[in-house]
Amino acid sequence: MPTLNFTLNDKPVSVEVSANARLLDVIRDQLGLTGTKEGCGVGECGACTVIVDDDAVDSCLTLAMSVEGKNVLTVEGLAKDGRLSRLQQAVLDHHALQCGYCTPGFLMSATALLNKNPHPTREEIKVAIAGNLCRCTGYEQLIQAILDASQDE
Amino acid sequence: MREFSYVRPKTLDEALELMQLHAGRIRPYAGGTDIMVHLRSGSSRFDNLDYMMDLGDLQELKSVTCENGTVTVGAMVSHECVSHHPIVLEHAPMLAQACHTVGATQIRNAGTIGGNVCNASIAADSLSPLAAMDAVCNLQSKTASRSIPLAQFITGSEKTCIQPDEILVSLSFPSFKEWNTAFFKLGRRRALAISRITASTALHFVDGKITEARIAPGCVFVSPRRCTAAEDMLKDKEPSLALFNAIGEEVANEMVAVTGVRWSTEYKQPVLASVVSSALCMAAGISMEEE
Repeated sequence: MPTLNFTLNDKPVSVEVSANARLLDVIRDQLGLTGTKEGCGVGECGACTVIVDDDAVDSCLTLAMSVEGKNVLTVEGLAKDGRLSRLQQAVLDHHALQCGYCTPGFLMSATALLNKNPHPTREEIKVAIAGNLCRCTGYEQLIQAILDASQDE
Repeated sequence: MREFSYVRPKTLDEALELMQLHAGRIRPYAGGTDIMVHLRSGSSRFDNLDYMMDLGDLQELKSVTCENGTVTVGAMVSHECVSHHPIVLEHAPMLAQACHTVGATQIRNAGTIGGNVCNASIAADSLSPLAAMDAVCNLQSKTASRSIPLAQFITGSEKTCIQPDEILVSLSFPSFKEWNTAFFKLGRRRALAISRITASTALHFVDGKITEARIAPGCVFVSPRRCTAAEDMLKDKEPSLALFNAIGEEVANEMVAVTGVRWSTEYKQPVLASVVSSALCMAAGISMEEE
């Protein structure tokens, strides 16, 4: 089995993986980071969204070996020293989750957006999260949370 | 999921070497957004697969250039990159629009225009703008290179004439900077939607009259192509909703003539007419509202 070396939430990781393993399975089953979820397995729901080298991607559609040498950020990497990120706190403040299953994916899509575009318009936010489906909230609170997190403090 | 070995060449030469060595048992992996779905469903297309070759390190396939009026887009350029690239926005805005409608941000960050073409789904969004521009597919193997028109490269639904030892390296087309272009996509929702019907149109104006036109519908022909009879009907005409509605019907009639009457014709015929008319109106900057 090949060995995969990459950076995960700012830490170097080295793990033996099957060549046909999905990044999603390596993150969840081999590395124990279960924040990233599987919703559909075919890239249509965004529950598995992670950030690879600044770009939000569906980890269910990513061969694990393809992230060799790259930086991967999962939802577990958002809080620093036990403090939630501004976006995570905004999601709580705006009641932008109910069952919570889609939430990590939304957090990663929105984090990727804000890292590239710190002050997005509502329309830009909608485009950025269009690849994430939520059955519970109706999306409005999520959009408000992202707008809130993008305001100058 | 089928087992295979993973290889990741550092240069195009290395990649072509591998393609020749393992021809017929090796497959290029671009963004993975189609391959991973096919692998998961156990598609028979992977029955002979021993090697998955990741193209991710091949910088030679990632550039976008415009030289002497010809635009060349590397096969590994992502949909997200195509949709925002200044050269594409300037010389082929309908292609930027089309790539922007693919899936959603996560899909566009990973998926590539070359992968879109080689996967050759009838509903692939990049195909109709590329066809409208008479785009050419540039292919390389270790021993040869060739360029063939897109309409000939795609031979059927999910079928291309790529050889077992070949890689698509780029797509080329002339600049449409002086034209007004548009892309219209009809899907079941505004994102994460496989196209139901699309149309790409380009109009060239002199003194308010159309001198040349390009019309390429998507999702209706097994191989992407222009509707040249309808295009000719636009020459020397001034744009109007009535004219574009008539052209839309002409294109829809051509679809039926070419593909025959099918179970979907009752839906596709009027809808294609409307989609084409909409795309023409968008290109010409005129309203879809009846006066």
